[in-house]
Amino acid sequence: MIPIQHFLLLGALLFSLGVYGVLSRRNVVLILMSVELMLQGVNINLVAFAVYLSPQEFRGLIFALFVITVAAAEVGLALAIALRLFRNRATANVDEVDTLRW
Amino acid sequence: MSYEEGLFYLVAVVTGLGGLGVVLARNVVYAALFLIVALLGVAGLFLLLSAEFLALVQVLIYGAAVTILLLFVIMLTRVRDAPTTPVAPQQSLGLAVAASLFGLLATAILLTDWGALGATEEITLVPVRELGKVLFQRWSVPFEVASLVLLVALLGAIVLARPEEEE
Amino acid sequence: MVGMEHAWVLPALPFGAFVVLLLVGRYLPRRGDFLAVGAMVAAAVLFSLMLADLVQALGEEGFQGVASGIDWLKFDTFQVRLGFFFDNLAAVMLAVVTYVGSLIFIYSTGYMQGDPRYGWFFAAMSLFAASMMTLVLADNLLLLYGAWEAVGFCSYLLIGFWHERRSAAEAAKKAFITTRIGDVGFLIGIVLLWREAGTFDLREIFRLASAGGYSSEYLTLAVLMLFAGAVGKSAQFPLHVWLPDAMEGPTPVSALIHAATMVVAGVYLVARTMPLFEAADPVALQVVTAIGLATVMLSATVALVVRDVKRVIAYSTINSLGLMMVALGSRSVTAAMFYLFVHGFFKALLFLSAGNVLHATDRGTVDELGGLRAKMPLTALAFGVGTLAMAGLFPLSGFWAKDEILVAAREGQGVAVSVVLWVSVALTALYMARLYILTFLGKPRDPHAYEHAHEAPPAMLAPVLLLALGAVVTGFWAFDQVGEALALPGGVGKFVYLHEPHPFEISVGEAAGSSALVVACLLVAGLVWSGEARPAQLMAQRLHPLYQLLWNKYYIDDLYQWVVNRIVLATGAMVAWFDRVVVNDTGVDGSAGLAALWGWIMRQVQTGKMPNYALAIAGGAVVIGAVVLVTRM
Repeated sequence: MIPIQHFLLLGALLFSLGVYGVLSRRNVVLILMSVELMLQGVNINLVAFAVYLSPQEFRGLIFALFVITVAAAEVGLALAIALRLFRNRATANVDEVDTLRW
Repeated sequence: MSYEEGLFYLVAVVTGLGGLGVVLARNVVYAALFLIVALLGVAGLFLLLSAEFLALVQVLIYGAAVTILLLFVIMLTRVRDAPTTPVAPQQSLGLAVAASLFGLLATAILLTDWGALGATEEITLVPVRELGKVLFQRWSVPFEVASLVLLVALLGAIVLARPEEEE
Repeated sequence: MVGMEHAWVLPALPFGAFVVLLLVGRYLPRRGDFLAVGAMVAAAVLFSLMLADLVQALGEEGFQGVASGIDWLKFDTFQVRLGFFFDNLAAVMLAVVTYVGSLIFIYSTGYMQGDPRYGWFFAAMSLFAASMMTLVLADNLLLLYGAWEAVGFCSYLLIGFWHERRSAAEAAKKAFITTRIGDVGFLIGIVLLWREAGTFDLREIFRLASAGGYSSEYLTLAVLMLFAGAVGKSAQFPLHVWLPDAMEGPTPVSALIHAATMVVAGVYLVARTMPLFEAADPVALQVVTAIGLATVMLSATVALVVRDVKRVIAYSTINSLGLMMVALGSRSVTAAMFYLFVHGFFKALLFLSAGNVLHATDRGTVDELGGLRAKMPLTALAFGVGTLAMAGLFPLSGFWAKDEILVAAREGQGVAVSVVLWVSVALTALYMARLYILTFLGKPRDPHAYEHAHEAPPAMLAPVLLLALGAVVTGFWAFDQVGEALALPGGVGKFVYLHEPHPFEISVGEAAGSSALVVACLLVAGLVWSGEARPAQLMAQRLHPLYQLLWNKYYIDDLYQWVVNRIVLATGAMVAWFDRVVVNDTGVDGSAGLAALWGWIMRQVQTGKMPNYALAIAGGAVVIGAVVLVTRM
C-alpha cells in the first residue's frame, strides 16, 4: 500500500513547479499552463485526503470535480483574455504590459 | 517495495517530468505537449487512488478539451513567437520562492502524524453510484452553480475573443 | 433730572456722535460737524449740572463720590465692569475736557474747513472725547486701561490725519510705539495689583493697600510700573520724544490731545492712584520727582533753540507736564491738579492762536514769520496772554498755579528740587518770550507770508478769545472766597486734595521771588531776541557745542534710532531668518518634502508588471506558511 505522504509530496511538487512556472515565464500562455499544473497538484491532494482520511464522506472527490470544472471554465476565459491582449498590444510578453505602473 | 509503490513511482516520475517540461521548455508547443503528459500522468494517479470517475473526467476534460484549446490558441495566433526566457532577478527569486514553498509543504507533510488522523494504508474504492447520488443530492446547488459558471465563461470568452467590428 | 449717577451719559454723547458720523456722516449737511460740536457742548452742559449736584452732595458727611455702571463679565477673580465714579478729582478733569474741548471743536469748524476728510476729523475727535471721558470716570483699572489705549489710538489716528505726508505717518507711528512701551509697564502694574486684590476696582485696591495687604517691595514695584504708563503718555523723560513730532497733526488736535487732555492723563493717573504711591516705599515718589525734574530741564533748555512755532509750544507742554509730576512727587495733588486745570486753558489758547497764525500764513517756523502783530492784532493779544500765563506772570492763572507747585516743592522736598524748579521758571519766561518776539514782533522775515496774513475768522477767533479770558481768570480759583462764590466749598485746595482740604495762603516768598524772576527774564528775552536778534546769534556762535547739543535735542532721538536699527531691527531680522529657514523651509516644506520623498520611494513597488506582483504574493504566502508552521510545531 502506498503511504499517503507519497501522494501529498507529489502534489506539493507539482504545485511548486507550477509556482515556479508562473513566476518565471514571460509568455502569457505558458503562465496559464503553469497555473493548470498548480491545479493538478491541488487535485491530487484533495483526492488523496478524501480517499485516505474520510472514505465515507468523499468530499475531496466532489471538490476535485468542481475544481476541474471551474478550471476548464477559467482556461477558456483566460485564453480569450490572452487573445485580446495579443490583439491590442501585439505582444504576449507579460513584462511589456505595465501601463498600470505608477 | 510492493508493486503498487513501484507503479506509483513510475507514474510519479512521468508526471514530474511532464511538469518540469512545462516550466522549462523553450518552445511553447513543446511545453504544451509536456502539459499533456503531466495531465495524463495525473489521471494515472487518480486511478492509483481508486478514483476512477475522476480519472475519466481528468482525461476527458483536461487531457482533451483543455489541451486542444491551448494548442488551438497557440497555433492560430502568433503567440508562439513571443519570448519565453525568463528575466534575471525574477527568475532567481521565483526559484527561491518555489523551492522554499516546496520545502515548507514537504516539512509539513512529513511532520504530520497521519496515523492519528485516521489514515490507513487501505484505499477504499468509491463506487460511482454513490458519488453520483451525493453529487446530485447533497451537492446539487454547487453543481448548478458550476454549470452557470461554465455558461458565463462561455459567454465571456465569446465576447472577449470577438473580432473587432469595422464600422 | 440728570445727576452724577448718570455719569455714563457724558462719554456716551460724543461716542454716539462718532458712530453716526462714521456711518452716515458723508450724507449729512456740512458732513455732520454740528453733531460732533453739539455732542461736546451738550456734554459740557450736562457736566455743569452734575457739578452742581456734586457741590450739593459735598455738604454731606463722608461723601466721596457717586458710583454707577454695569457688570460686563464676571468670573471668579476676574470681573470686567463698565464702572464710573464721579468725584471731585474727576470733576476737575471733566471740566477741562468738556469746556476746553467744546471750544476746540468749534474752532475746528473754521480751521479744518475745506479739508477733504473733514467728516472723519470730527468722527475721530468725537471718539477721542468719549474715550478721554471714560478714562477719567473709570472706577476700575481695567476700564481705565482700555480707555487709555483708546485715547492713544485716537491720538495715532489724528496725528497721522494727513497721512499722505510721510512725516505725519512716521510721527503717528512714533507716538503710538513710544507710548506703547510705557503701556506695557502700566499693564504689568495693573496685573500686579490685581493679583493680590482679586479685583480691578480702584477703591478696593486702595483699601487693601492702606490695610497693608501688599508687601512694600511688591507695591512699590507695581506703582512704578503704573508710573511707566504715565511716563509714556505724559511725555516724561525718557519717553518724551513723541510729543514734539506729534505736532504733525492738525492744530486743534495738538491743542486738545497733546496739551489739554490726553497728555495730562498720566498726571491724572498718578493723582488718582496717590494712595498707592503713599503706601509704597518713598523711593517711588522720589522716582516720580526725579523724572519730572529731568523732563523739566530737558524741555526748557531745548525750547530755547527750536524754530518751529508749534514745537516750541510742544516743549513748553512737556515742561508743564514735568512740573506737574514734580508737584505729585511732592505729594501735592492740589498743586498738580490746579496746574492741570489752568494749563488746559492757556496751553490750548497758545496752540489755537498759533493755529490762527498757521492758517493765515501757511508757515510754521519763526524763520518765516515776524511782525505779525500788525496784521493779526487780536490773535497777537491772545497769544501774548498765553505766553505770559505760561511764563507765570502775576496775576494770570499760570502765576497762581506755578507758585502752588513751588510751595509744594519747598515744603515736601529738598533744596535741590526747588533750585531746579526756579531755573525752569526763568528758562520758561525766556523761551516763551522768545517765541512771541520772533513771531509777532520785529520785521517780517518772509514778505510773501506777511502779505497773506490776516486776522482769523469768527469761528476761530471766538474760542481763542474765550480761552484767553479763561487763562486770565481761572487762576483765581485758588482763593477760597472765589470758590465759595461759585457755591464750591472753597478754593481749589478745598476741592481737590489728598487727605484734608487746605485753605489758601499766599506765600509771599514765592510770589515776590517768582514775579521778579519772570519780569527780569522777560526783559532779558526782549534784549536778546528782538530786532535782529544779534545777541542771540552771537551766543549761538560762541557757545556752538552747547547750541548743537540743544539743537539735536541732546541726541536722544538719535540714540533711540540707533537702538531701533541695531538692536530691534537686527533681532527682527534674526527672527525672520529663523521663521523663513527653520520653520518654513525645513519644518513645513521639509516635512512635506519628506512625505513626498517617502511616497516616491513607496511607489516604486508599483511596477505594473504582473510577474512582480505574483512574486510578492507567492513570497508572502511562503512567509505566512512558514510562520504558521513554526508556531504550530
